[in-house]
Amino acid sequence: MIDGTAGYLILGAILFGLGLTGFVTRRNLIVIFLSTEIMFQGVVLTAVAFARHHHNLQGQTYALFLLVIAAVEAGLALGMVMLLYRRRGTLDAEAWAVMRG
Amino acid sequence: MSMDSAVLLYLVFAAGGAGLYFLMPKAERPSSAVGVMFGVASLVGLFAFLISDGLGPRATGAYFCFFGGTALAAATRVITHVKPVYSALYFVLVVVAVAALLVLQEAEFLAVALIIVYAGAILVTYLFVIMLAQPAGSPVYDRRAREPFAAILACFALTGAIAGGLPSAVGRPSVESRVAAASQAEPSAGIGNTEAIGGQVMTRYVVVLQLAGVLLLISMVGAIALSRKRVPSEMLTSSRPALGQVGKEAVPF
Repeated sequence: MIDGTAGYLILGAILFGLGLTGFVTRRNLIVIFLSTEIMFQGVVLTAVAFARHHHNLQGQTYALFLLVIAAVEAGLALGMVMLLYRRRGTLDAEAWAVMRG
Repeated sequence: MSMDSAVLLYLVFAAGGAGLYFLMPKAERPSSAVGVMFGVASLVGLFAFLISDGLGPRATGAYFCFFGGTALAAATRVITHVKPVYSALYFVLVVVAVAALLVLQEAEFLAVALIIVYAGAILVTYLFVIMLAQPAGSPVYDRRAREPFAAILACFALTGAIAGGLPSAVGRPSVESRVAAASQAEPSAGIGNTEAIGGQVMTRYVVVLQLAGVLLLISMVGAIALSRKRVPSEMLTSSRPALGQVGKEAVPF
């Protein structure tokens, strides 16, 4: 409520929820990983809002390392997507339903 | 947050969820007009709610509403668009809007870093993969979402829990943080945001910085190991001349 922090927190939460929705509903592997990036955006927004709320830089530093994690995740995920595409010839996540166990 | 305003927020979320359900790619009935109507209504309701309830005295009203609305609408398009290329381009819009929101919160360095890392590096990688792997046209797995109703219901519950719980749990800043803010007010007027973050990273979080570097190295090795193509071993041995013979037959220029 103070200094408009609540607005940013709600916005971050909605971005996270939208990303999660995309993650579980879409079937294209590339769009699934795009949705995780949207979730990252929501978390960055929340971390920075808390940093400003508490008048320190820890949240911003945390968000900076979050960017590193996002880059690592994108690199590995896209490498994996290419591997899976070469195995099955499709980007459909349902093609790997065998792994459901 | 009082009880009534929480109920109002949940109503707005419900309208947004309904809009999202109608916007999800479906095979039989493209009822996107209803979805757009619901979505716009929920966006307007959300920002009306935030202005009336949340934004306090230091309201950054118009900019906050504009960029926040852009971020949410673009994120919705990312997860509902049938073509992944357009999803990736709408994701750039999300990144730019979030960067603008970070500028509004005095995090200039992070805003620029976000644009460089996401729009500059990660998005290019995504577009490369889309070029390499996406078949022409729109295949059936792009045109049909998987269990949209259950997913939206679950994510509505999660988002409601976060958004309803977090802001009321924030409270006032602690006394020591306010004291620290008061004592930092003098030097932070002189040094910029970038310098301050650099100081933090190089002093307090230096071990984390090194770990981040190691993590990047590991992921690079992992990505190469994952995406390398297996070459049949006879191709490796047959056509390649022995080490000392390379270039023996080549005509010198």
